[in-house]
Amino acid sequence: MFVVVVYDTLAERNPKILKTCRQYLHWVQRSVFQGELSAAQHRSFTEAVKGVIDLEYDSVLIYRMQTHHAVQTETIGQEFSSGSPVL
Amino acid sequence: MTAAARTYWLTEPCRIRREDNSIRIERPDQTPIRIPITDIRDLVAFDHVDVNTSVVSLLNRHDITVHLLDHYGNYAGSFTPHEGMSSALALRRQVEVTSDTHLRLTAARDIVATTAANVKWALDTDLLDAPLKRLTEDLPTAGDSNALMGIEGNFRRSSWEVLDTMLPPWLRLNGRTRRPPSNAGNAFISYVNTIVYARMLTALRCTPLHPAIGFLHADTDRRRNTLALDLAEPFKPLFAERLLRRAAAQKTLRQSDFESDVARASLSKGGRKKVAEMLRAELASTVYHRSLKRKVSYEELIHLEALKIVRLCLEGTSYKPFRPWW
Repeated sequence: MFVVVVYDTLAERNPKILKTCRQYLHWVQRSVFQGELSAAQHRSFTEAVKGVIDLEYDSVLIYRMQTHHAVQTETIGQEFSSGSPVL
Repeated sequence: MTAAARTYWLTEPCRIRREDNSIRIERPDQTPIRIPITDIRDLVAFDHVDVNTSVVSLLNRHDITVHLLDHYGNYAGSFTPHEGMSSALALRRQVEVTSDTHLRLTAARDIVATTAANVKWALDTDLLDAPLKRLTEDLPTAGDSNALMGIEGNFRRSSWEVLDTMLPPWLRLNGRTRRPPSNAGNAFISYVNTIVYARMLTALRCTPLHPAIGFLHADTDRRRNTLALDLAEPFKPLFAERLLRRAAAQKTLRQSDFESDVARASLSKGGRKKVAEMLRAELASTVYHRSLKRKVSYEELIHLEALKIVRLCLEGTSYKPFRPWW
């Protein structure tokens, strides 16, 4: 599945969640990640996120769709990462 | 084969570093790129890369192979993870099958015949009918793999000549040369062949087979993985010849994509990127598989080929090399 993850956490916890997300997804903006995950990877990702955030204060949004073909993306201004596998 | 992971193609000299238990790619005068570790199936490095122990141990933990090509496109080696799929039974059967002369030569003959048919398919011409007929007549008489390779060589020589008639003058092969390739066309073919070989090796790593115990190529051939060479053979026309023809027809490749010197040529930096992009798109294209009743990508066809050998070893099903059916 294709996921877009957006997080809003207390500033001191930002690095922790950033590092967790980097293991699974492409970094596209300061607090936005996207990428392709399998069902199992999605499960372990959500578990890992639960481990690093404060469930009382922080919020992490995960948008899921079946394929990336269902998403049309438009970038205005700087593009952080194209996500292309040819580097 | 992991479903969600992708192959990453590193076309420029770069440094692979470990950061936050994930991978960071550093290139000169560019911002570093971070790749999620779970998204990598394998890495193909087209130019010099720097790695360190912490990266290798991370890659090993996630079962990621790194294929290394040197500056001229020769296969330089691979970092392979530990054998997580090993099975003594399958390996013992593989050795038995390949040491049985009759079984080995049957498989080798099939590989040669199919490769020739695939070349004809890729070039899509009647000009190869006569050489192909001669090849099928000669095959049963060949008593060992050297003779088989000789017959294949004869056929390939006529096929290169036919291919030349479809190419613009600057891209013509004028006889196949390797180590080093003498002109642009040869450099392209060598490059693609190396990558197909590396893809086959990745597929074999997903099975319990030993990549060095093969059928057709000599076991002593430069300590290379002969099974990967054998199985890559039927796929080479699908990628090398076809992509070269297409690149010539669509004018995607230019003379500036190659660095040509006297009697040697290699792809330039831009050319490498173009070829990587072409191959990536080609490996991702799909066809309908009639017995699996679903669409499979070319990448997966390579994987299925490795599984055929597993079945040959474990179940004794006869091995039918890959032939395009579309």
